[in-house]
Amino acid sequence: MTEECPHLTYRTEGDDRSFDVARAFCTVTDSFVQPMRADVCNARYGLDPERDCEFYVAPERTDGGTVDPANGADDPTETDAAGGDEDR
Amino acid sequence: MTYRDYLDGKPTIVTAALSGGVQGKETHPDLPESPEEIAAAAAACEAAGASVVHLHARRENGERAFSTERFQTLTDAVREATDDVIIQHSTGGTAAPDDLRHEPLRTDPAPEMASLDMGPLNRYERLTSENTRALVSSLHAEMLDRDIKPELEVFNDGHLNETLAVLEEFEEPPYMNFLFGGGTTSPPSPRNLANRVENLPEGVEFTVIGLGRHQLPMTTQSILLGGHVRVGLEDNQYYEKGERATNERLVARAVRITEELGRPAATPAETRELLGLRGR
Repeated sequence: MTEECPHLTYRTEGDDRSFDVARAFCTVTDSFVQPMRADVCNARYGLDPERDCEFYVAPERTDGGTVDPANGADDPTETDAAGGDEDR
Repeated sequence: MTYRDYLDGKPTIVTAALSGGVQGKETHPDLPESPEEIAAAAAACEAAGASVVHLHARRENGERAFSTERFQTLTDAVREATDDVIIQHSTGGTAAPDDLRHEPLRTDPAPEMASLDMGPLNRYERLTSENTRALVSSLHAEMLDRDIKPELEVFNDGHLNETLAVLEEFEEPPYMNFLFGGGTTSPPSPRNLANRVENLPEGVEFTVIGLGRHQLPMTTQSILLGGHVRVGLEDNQYYEKGERATNERLVARAVRITEELGRPAATPAETRELLGLRGR
Protein backbone atom coordinates (compact mmCIF):
# COMPACT_ATOMS: atom_id res chain seq x y z
CA MET A 1 0.00 0.00 0.00
CA THR A 2 1.35 3.40 -0.95
CA GLU A 3 -1.81 5.52 -0.68
CA GLU A 4 -2.84 7.70 2.21
CA CYS A 5 -4.35 5.95 5.19
CA PRO A 6 -8.11 5.33 4.99
CA HIS A 7 -8.33 6.30 8.65
CA LEU A 8 -6.92 9.78 8.05
CA THR A 9 -9.17 12.83 8.05
CA TYR A 10 -8.42 16.52 8.35
CA ARG A 11 -10.40 18.38 10.99
CA THR A 12 -10.41 21.66 12.84
CA GLU A 13 -12.18 20.19 15.85
CA GLY A 14 -12.01 16.94 17.75
CA ASP A 15 -10.58 15.27 20.83
CA ASP A 16 -11.79 18.28 22.87
CA ARG A 17 -9.58 20.68 20.89
CA SER A 18 -9.97 23.06 17.99
CA PHE A 19 -7.55 24.61 15.50
CA ASP A 20 -7.71 27.37 12.89
CA VAL A 21 -6.22 25.17 10.17
CA ALA A 22 -7.47 21.63 9.62
CA ARG A 23 -5.03 19.07 11.03
CA ALA A 24 -4.50 15.37 10.54
CA PHE A 25 -6.88 13.30 12.65
CA CYS A 26 -6.76 9.52 13.11
CA THR A 27 -10.15 7.83 13.29
CA VAL A 28 -8.60 4.72 14.85
CA THR A 29 -7.09 6.46 17.85
CA ASP A 30 -9.73 9.24 17.71
CA SER A 31 -7.09 11.88 18.18
CA PHE A 32 -5.09 14.47 16.28
CA VAL A 33 -1.90 13.11 14.78
CA GLN A 34 1.60 14.29 15.56
CA PRO A 35 3.31 16.00 12.61
CA MET A 36 5.78 13.21 11.97
CA ARG A 37 3.05 10.58 12.12
CA ALA A 38 1.08 12.63 9.60
CA ASP A 39 3.77 11.84 7.05
CA VAL A 40 2.98 8.15 7.54
CA CYS A 41 -0.76 8.81 7.28
CA ASN A 42 -0.20 10.66 4.00
CA ALA A 43 2.20 8.01 2.67
CA ARG A 44 4.86 10.65 2.09
CA TYR A 45 8.49 9.76 1.40
CA GLY A 46 7.64 6.17 0.59
CA LEU A 47 6.05 5.55 3.96
CA ASP A 48 3.21 3.04 4.05
CA PRO A 49 0.46 3.41 6.68
CA GLU A 50 -0.23 -0.32 6.80
CA ARG A 51 3.41 -1.17 7.29
CA ASP A 52 4.70 1.84 9.21
CA CYS A 53 1.85 2.75 11.56
CA GLU A 54 1.20 0.68 14.65
CA PHE A 55 -2.37 1.98 14.86
CA TYR A 56 -3.39 0.99 11.37
CA VAL A 57 -6.34 -1.40 11.04
CA ALA A 58 -6.95 -3.20 7.75
CA PRO A 59 -9.85 -1.22 6.23
CA GLU A 60 -11.36 -4.08 4.25
CA ARG A 61 -11.57 -6.75 6.92
CA THR A 62 -15.04 -8.26 7.00
CA ASP A 63 -14.76 -10.90 9.71
CA GLY A 64 -16.12 -8.57 12.37
CA GLY A 65 -13.18 -9.33 14.60
CA THR A 66 -11.52 -6.93 16.96
CA VAL A 67 -8.37 -5.03 16.37
CA ASP A 68 -5.29 -7.20 16.36
CA PRO A 69 -3.48 -6.23 19.53
CA ALA A 70 -0.23 -6.34 17.63
CA ASN A 71 -1.53 -3.65 15.30
CA GLY A 72 -3.71 -1.59 17.56
CA ALA A 73 -2.83 0.37 20.65
CA ASP A 74 -4.67 2.38 23.23
CA ASP A 75 -2.20 5.16 23.71
CA PRO A 76 -1.48 7.35 20.69
CA THR A 77 0.99 9.50 22.55
CA GLU A 78 4.73 9.19 22.50
CA THR A 79 6.60 7.10 24.99
CA ASP A 80 7.82 10.17 26.77
CA ALA A 81 4.71 12.30 27.18
CA ALA A 82 6.74 15.13 28.64
CA GLY A 83 8.27 15.78 25.27
CA GLY A 84 10.88 13.72 23.56
CA ASP A 85 11.52 15.01 20.10
CA GLU A 86 14.53 13.11 18.88
CA ASP A 87 14.96 14.47 15.38
CA ARG A 88 17.54 17.11 15.68
CA MET B 1 35.59 21.29 28.26
CA THR B 2 36.17 20.36 31.86
CA TYR B 3 35.25 21.18 35.42
CA ARG B 4 38.12 23.69 35.14
CA ASP B 5 35.97 25.63 32.66
CA TYR B 6 33.24 25.80 35.27
CA LEU B 7 35.67 27.07 37.87
CA ASP B 8 36.98 29.66 35.43
CA GLY B 9 33.48 30.98 34.78
CA LYS B 10 33.52 30.22 31.09
CA PRO B 11 30.35 31.55 29.41
CA THR B 12 27.62 28.98 28.80
CA ILE B 13 25.98 28.74 25.40
CA VAL B 14 22.22 28.49 25.87
CA THR B 15 20.42 27.10 22.84
CA ALA B 16 16.65 27.30 22.53
CA ALA B 17 15.03 24.46 20.58
CA LEU B 18 11.73 26.13 19.92
CA SER B 19 9.42 23.61 18.30
CA GLY B 20 11.04 20.50 16.84
CA GLY B 21 9.42 18.58 14.04
CA VAL B 22 7.86 15.61 15.75
CA GLN B 23 5.26 17.13 18.06
CA GLY B 24 2.93 20.05 17.53
CA LYS B 25 -0.02 21.85 18.98
CA GLU B 26 -1.79 18.53 19.44
CA THR B 27 0.56 17.91 22.38
CA HIS B 28 1.14 21.49 23.57
CA PRO B 29 -1.34 24.21 22.57
CA ASP B 30 1.31 26.94 22.71
CA LEU B 31 4.06 25.16 20.83
CA PRO B 32 5.10 27.55 18.05
CA GLU B 33 4.57 26.23 14.53
CA SER B 34 4.10 29.11 12.10
CA PRO B 35 7.02 31.35 11.10
CA GLU B 36 5.41 34.21 13.02
CA GLU B 37 5.00 32.14 16.18
CA ILE B 38 8.52 30.74 15.98
CA ALA B 39 9.98 34.19 15.34
CA ALA B 40 8.19 35.59 18.38
CA ALA B 41 9.48 32.72 20.49
CA ALA B 42 13.00 33.28 19.17
CA ALA B 43 12.87 36.95 20.09
CA ALA B 44 11.61 36.16 23.58
CA CYS B 45 14.32 33.55 24.08
CA GLU B 46 17.04 35.91 22.83
CA ALA B 47 15.82 38.52 25.31
CA ALA B 48 15.92 35.86 28.03
CA GLY B 49 19.55 35.03 27.26
CA ALA B 50 19.67 32.39 24.53
CA SER B 51 22.39 32.93 21.96
CA VAL B 52 21.37 30.15 19.56
CA VAL B 53 17.94 29.17 18.26
CA HIS B 54 17.38 25.73 16.72
CA LEU B 55 14.74 25.78 13.99
CA HIS B 56 12.44 23.28 12.26
CA ALA B 57 10.10 24.39 9.48
CA ARG B 58 6.43 23.42 9.26
CA ARG B 59 3.60 23.43 6.81
CA GLU B 60 0.63 25.66 7.56
CA ASN B 61 -1.13 22.77 9.26
CA GLY B 62 1.84 22.10 11.53
CA GLU B 63 3.22 19.12 9.62
CA ARG B 64 6.90 18.78 8.87
CA ALA B 65 8.53 20.72 6.05
CA PHE B 66 12.06 20.37 4.73
CA SER B 67 12.07 22.56 1.63
CA THR B 68 14.44 25.49 1.27
CA GLU B 69 11.41 27.65 0.56
CA ARG B 70 9.77 26.90 3.90
CA PHE B 71 13.07 27.34 5.76
CA GLN B 72 13.66 30.63 3.95
CA THR B 73 10.31 31.98 5.10
CA LEU B 74 11.04 30.82 8.63
CA THR B 75 14.59 32.11 8.87
CA ASP B 76 13.58 35.47 7.34
CA ALA B 77 10.91 35.85 10.01
CA VAL B 78 13.35 34.95 12.78
CA ARG B 79 16.01 37.34 11.50
CA GLU B 80 13.45 40.12 11.32
CA ALA B 81 12.28 39.53 14.88
CA THR B 82 15.65 39.03 16.57
CA ASP B 83 18.74 41.15 17.09
CA ASP B 84 21.90 39.05 16.84
CA VAL B 85 20.87 35.52 17.79
CA ILE B 86 22.66 32.66 15.98
CA ILE B 87 20.37 30.65 13.74
CA GLN B 88 20.75 26.89 13.58
CA HIS B 89 18.69 24.89 11.09
CA SER B 90 17.78 21.28 11.70
CA THR B 91 18.76 18.76 9.04
CA GLY B 92 17.00 15.96 10.91
CA GLY B 93 14.11 14.18 9.26
CA THR B 94 13.04 10.65 9.97
CA ALA B 95 12.00 8.96 6.70
CA ALA B 96 12.62 12.06 4.59
CA PRO B 97 14.74 11.33 1.50
CA ASP B 98 18.38 12.36 1.59
CA ASP B 99 18.01 15.15 -0.96
CA LEU B 100 15.36 16.85 1.16
CA ARG B 101 17.63 16.68 4.18
CA HIS B 102 20.02 19.05 2.41
CA GLU B 103 17.45 21.72 1.68
CA PRO B 104 17.53 23.51 5.06
CA LEU B 105 21.20 24.35 4.33
CA ARG B 106 20.35 26.28 1.16
CA THR B 107 18.71 29.42 2.48
CA ASP B 108 20.12 32.86 1.72
CA PRO B 109 21.97 33.64 3.84
CA ALA B 110 22.89 30.17 4.98
CA PRO B 111 22.35 29.46 8.66
CA GLU B 112 25.42 29.95 10.82
CA MET B 113 24.89 26.48 12.29
CA ALA B 114 23.03 23.27 11.45
CA SER B 115 22.42 20.02 13.22
CA LEU B 116 24.07 16.85 11.93
CA ASP B 117 22.67 13.55 13.20
CA MET B 118 25.60 11.16 13.60
CA GLY B 119 23.79 7.84 13.31
CA PRO B 120 20.53 5.94 13.30
CA LEU B 121 17.68 6.30 15.75
CA ASN B 122 14.32 4.65 16.19
CA ARG B 123 11.02 6.49 16.13
CA TYR B 124 7.69 5.17 17.40
CA GLU B 125 7.30 1.43 16.89
CA ARG B 126 8.15 1.07 13.23
CA LEU B 127 10.26 3.96 11.97
CA THR B 128 14.00 4.45 11.90
CA SER B 129 15.94 7.53 10.89
CA GLU B 130 18.88 5.86 9.20
CA ASN B 131 21.37 8.72 9.02
CA THR B 132 23.84 6.64 7.05
CA ARG B 133 27.52 7.51 7.01
CA ALA B 134 27.06 8.57 3.38
CA LEU B 135 24.33 11.03 4.32
CA VAL B 136 26.35 12.39 7.25
CA SER B 137 29.30 12.93 4.92
CA SER B 138 27.27 14.62 2.20
CA LEU B 139 25.52 16.93 4.65
CA HIS B 140 28.86 17.83 6.24
CA ALA B 141 30.41 18.52 2.85
CA GLU B 142 27.64 20.96 2.01
CA MET B 143 28.00 22.61 5.42
CA LEU B 144 31.71 23.13 4.72
CA ASP B 145 30.91 24.62 1.32
CA ARG B 146 28.42 27.02 2.82
CA ASP B 147 30.46 27.86 5.95
CA ILE B 148 27.90 26.32 8.30
CA LYS B 149 29.09 25.06 11.68
CA PRO B 150 27.75 21.56 12.33
CA GLU B 151 26.41 20.63 15.72
CA LEU B 152 27.18 16.92 15.94
CA GLU B 153 24.15 15.15 17.36
CA VAL B 154 25.45 12.26 19.46
CA PHE B 155 22.42 10.29 20.55
CA ASN B 156 24.35 7.46 22.20
CA ASP B 157 27.78 5.94 22.64
CA GLY B 158 27.60 4.27 19.22
CA HIS B 159 27.20 7.68 17.67
CA LEU B 160 30.19 8.85 19.71
CA ASN B 161 32.25 6.09 18.10
CA GLU B 162 31.06 7.25 14.70
CA THR B 163 31.94 10.83 15.53
CA LEU B 164 35.38 10.15 16.98
CA ALA B 165 36.29 8.13 13.90
CA VAL B 166 35.93 11.22 11.70
CA LEU B 167 36.64 13.94 14.24
CA GLU B 168 39.61 15.32 12.34
CA GLU B 169 37.29 16.19 9.46
CA PHE B 170 35.56 18.84 11.53
CA GLU B 171 36.84 22.36 12.07
CA GLU B 172 38.06 23.32 15.53
CA PRO B 173 36.46 23.13 17.90
CA PRO B 174 34.15 20.19 17.17
CA TYR B 175 30.80 20.90 18.80
CA MET B 176 28.95 17.83 20.05
CA ASN B 177 25.44 17.60 21.43
CA PHE B 178 24.77 14.73 23.84
CA LEU B 179 21.19 13.49 24.15
CA PHE B 180 19.87 11.82 27.27
CA GLY B 181 16.41 10.30 27.54
CA GLY B 182 14.61 7.22 26.30
CA GLY B 183 14.67 5.21 23.12
CA THR B 184 17.86 5.44 21.08
CA THR B 185 19.28 8.26 23.18
CA SER B 186 21.64 7.72 26.11
CA PRO B 187 20.28 6.49 29.44
CA PRO B 188 20.02 9.63 31.55
CA SER B 189 22.18 9.57 34.65
CA PRO B 190 24.83 11.84 36.14
CA ARG B 191 27.36 9.04 35.95
CA ASN B 192 26.76 8.50 32.24
CA LEU B 193 27.27 12.17 31.44
CA ALA B 194 30.35 12.40 33.64
CA ASN B 195 31.85 9.35 31.94
CA ARG B 196 31.07 10.75 28.50
CA VAL B 197 32.81 14.02 29.30
CA GLU B 198 35.77 12.39 31.00
CA ASN B 199 36.58 10.46 27.85
CA LEU B 200 36.26 13.30 25.35
CA PRO B 201 39.30 14.36 23.37
CA GLU B 202 40.78 17.68 24.38
CA GLY B 203 39.36 20.67 22.61
CA VAL B 204 35.84 19.38 22.06
CA GLU B 205 33.00 21.70 23.04
CA PHE B 206 29.78 20.00 24.03
CA THR B 207 26.21 20.79 24.89
CA VAL B 208 23.56 18.58 26.49
CA ILE B 209 19.93 17.75 25.88
CA GLY B 210 17.83 16.03 28.51
CA LEU B 211 14.48 14.88 27.16
CA GLY B 212 11.36 15.48 29.22
CA ARG B 213 11.96 15.60 32.95
CA HIS B 214 15.65 14.96 32.41
CA GLN B 215 16.15 18.41 30.88
CA LEU B 216 16.72 20.29 34.11
CA PRO B 217 19.12 17.88 35.87
CA MET B 218 21.17 16.91 32.82
CA THR B 219 21.65 20.46 31.56
CA THR B 220 22.54 21.66 35.05
CA GLN B 221 25.18 18.96 35.31
CA SER B 222 26.53 20.02 31.93
CA ILE B 223 27.12 23.50 33.33
CA LEU B 224 29.15 22.02 36.20
CA LEU B 225 31.21 19.95 33.78
CA GLY B 226 32.09 22.91 31.60
CA GLY B 227 29.54 22.13 28.89
CA HIS B 228 26.69 24.11 27.39
CA VAL B 229 22.92 23.60 27.47
CA ARG B 230 19.98 23.22 25.15
CA VAL B 231 16.46 23.73 26.43
CA GLY B 232 13.08 24.37 24.84
CA LEU B 233 9.76 22.81 23.96
CA GLU B 234 11.28 20.51 21.35
CA ASP B 235 12.89 18.55 24.16
CA ASN B 236 10.63 19.16 27.14
CA GLN B 237 7.11 20.53 27.36
CA TYR B 238 6.81 20.89 31.11
CA TYR B 239 8.36 23.45 33.45
CA GLU B 240 7.66 21.12 36.33
CA LYS B 241 5.33 18.20 36.84
CA GLY B 242 1.85 19.14 35.67
CA GLU B 243 2.80 22.65 34.55
CA ARG B 244 3.23 23.43 30.88
CA ALA B 245 6.38 25.28 29.94
CA THR B 246 7.10 28.01 27.46
CA ASN B 247 10.35 28.33 25.56
CA GLU B 248 11.05 31.63 27.23
CA ARG B 249 10.63 30.28 30.76
CA LEU B 250 12.87 27.30 30.06
CA VAL B 251 15.58 29.59 28.73
CA ALA B 252 15.20 32.01 31.64
CA ARG B 253 15.62 29.16 34.11
CA ALA B 254 18.73 27.85 32.36
CA VAL B 255 20.23 31.34 32.31
CA ARG B 256 19.45 31.89 35.97
CA ILE B 257 21.01 28.58 36.95
CA THR B 258 24.21 29.02 34.98
CA GLU B 259 24.66 32.55 36.28
CA GLU B 260 24.06 31.47 39.87
CA LEU B 261 26.67 28.77 39.34
CA GLY B 262 29.17 31.38 38.25
CA ARG B 263 29.08 30.93 34.49
CA PRO B 264 27.41 33.77 32.61
CA ALA B 265 25.18 33.02 29.64
CA ALA B 266 27.21 33.57 26.50
CA THR B 267 26.23 36.45 24.27
CA PRO B 268 25.96 35.70 20.56
CA ALA B 269 29.39 37.32 20.09
CA GLU B 270 30.90 35.12 22.81
CA THR B 271 29.24 32.06 21.30
CA ARG B 272 30.73 32.86 17.90
CA GLU B 273 34.14 33.14 19.51
CA LEU B 274 33.76 29.90 21.46
CA LEU B 275 32.62 27.91 18.40
CA GLY B 276 34.73 29.59 15.76
CA LEU B 277 31.78 31.04 13.86
CA ARG B 278 32.46 33.80 11.36
CA GLY B 279 29.01 35.37 11.45
CA ARG B 280 26.83 36.38 8.54
